[in-house]
Amino acid sequence: MTTTTAPIDRSAGGEELRRIVNVARLHLTNRFSLLVLPWIILGIIFAANLVIWWLIRTVAGDAAMQDAGEGMQFSGASSFIFVYMMVVAVQAMNATFPFALGYGVTRRDFYLGSGLVFIVLSALYALGLTVLNVVERATNGWGLGGRMFDVVYFSTENAVTQFVQFFLVLLFFFFVGAATASVYVRWKSIGMIFFFAALSFIVLAAIAVITLSESWGNVGQWFVTNGPLGVALWLLVPTLLSAIAGFFLLRKATPRT
Amino acid sequence: MSTIVQVSGLSKTYGSVRAVDDVSFTLEENKITGLLGRNGAGKSTLMSLLTGQEFATRGDIRVFGASPVENASVLQKICFIKESQRYPEDFVVKHVFASAPWFFANWDADFAAQLIDEFRLPTDRRVKKLSRGQLSAVGIIVGLASRAPLTFFDEPYLGLDAVARQLFYDRLLEDYAEHPRTVVLSTHLIDEVSMLLEHVLLIDDGRIVIDDDAENLRNSATTVVGTRAAVDSFVAGHEVLHRESIGGLASVTVGTLDAQDRAAAAAAGLELSPVSLQQLIIRKTGTTTREFEQSA
Repeated sequence: MTTTTAPIDRSAGGEELRRIVNVARLHLTNRFSLLVLPWIILGIIFAANLVIWWLIRTVAGDAAMQDAGEGMQFSGASSFIFVYMMVVAVQAMNATFPFALGYGVTRRDFYLGSGLVFIVLSALYALGLTVLNVVERATNGWGLGGRMFDVVYFSTENAVTQFVQFFLVLLFFFFVGAATASVYVRWKSIGMIFFFAALSFIVLAAIAVITLSESWGNVGQWFVTNGPLGVALWLLVPTLLSAIAGFFLLRKATPRT
Repeated sequence: MSTIVQVSGLSKTYGSVRAVDDVSFTLEENKITGLLGRNGAGKSTLMSLLTGQEFATRGDIRVFGASPVENASVLQKICFIKESQRYPEDFVVKHVFASAPWFFANWDADFAAQLIDEFRLPTDRRVKKLSRGQLSAVGIIVGLASRAPLTFFDEPYLGLDAVARQLFYDRLLEDYAEHPRTVVLSTHLIDEVSMLLEHVLLIDDGRIVIDDDAENLRNSATTVVGTRAAVDSFVAGHEVLHRESIGGLASVTVGTLDAQDRAAAAAAGLELSPVSLQQLIIRKTGTTTREFEQSA
């Protein structure tokens, strides 16, 4: 048996909060896969990058490394963390949801507890990535001119805005993952087929409209005008819509196998 | 005895399939009820409805006096680990027992540890890597150690050997005696559990066919064996549930017999034997023994 922490206050006022926090604890029962493994993977990718940077610098010299460093802004070596968190959200809805119902948890408490975990994890990982980003800048790319955490979409000079950006992007991946998985839990594979068909249609329609109206320049301009932080703030719109959609989808979902 | 579950006119349809069809019954507090029936009869669907996991198409469900759907105060008192229960992707067995106390107020960690030991469950193994029997043991341990006021066991013994099944029956009875609670046990190993059951609900094709006290049921049928002529004259006027004959001998299952009937049978040289719950249920659902065993 693993150690369990002290029981949470059972007073009537804190009753609802207690239930929601317990769902959050349920998600974090296996701390390794949510709190440790992603950092190990990140460490391995980082170590591999360090070796490559050192090789480039040794073989091709500082100038070439400086050049490569610019290009690395686009490498996305740390972007796996966003995909990882999306998978975490998908599994939470798909596998932890039916389990929690067996424990007598309501759909509402489950969703709110899950949302709480998503927000806490987003803050935790945003903080870690921000620290790494700041160190990377301060050490001129770990003394090698390499770039892994100071990447193109997140380039701001301020550590606070940097944190906000990471945080918002993580939230986006969590809640979009949760909403998509909720479609599956609610309507199974039929739901997925219609969901992705609709999504493809919307994306294609948007591309068609932009292309036909020759607006790609405006789209690019929009990204430039809003800046990385502005774009991240705009992400809150789909994030919130996903969070709300996920809630209503899951409230009518049944755990069929 | 107070009523803990009250169901009236309950139906659940999936497209054109009537999984539960206009069902009404009540469950008394602190009894062990057997929910019996063949595969696909609607047992799991009924339990999912009672625990708010499925939504009813029609009808009314009251559990602890209120609808269980999205009702935290009701659901907190319920434990329902399904036969096909899914577990979180990354769960190791010990995670199940570490998280259970957060959801079950009466959780007994010592009892759980004892059961883990007795069922020889490997606590460091991933839930996904467990055998069918070990997975059943996880569900049984959660169901027993949670001591939820209303506990559902859905085919809890799948993949368990005879020793482990007996262990489950023994621990259930012992713990139930010390901590009375309402237990619903769905199974098709009827003879094995018939000693545990105080009440029987038999569901067939989505409908409740029997809703009776187990004791009443055990006395509700008797098999009469003897020469064909003697048996035939004896059973005339009685409800005949089943008839078999070989040569000049006949074996006929009839309904309830009173003391006078029994005396008459003895005088006629007929042999009377009680009918097992399983035999009775097979007669009532109109299936042959072979069919029933195949469904198990």
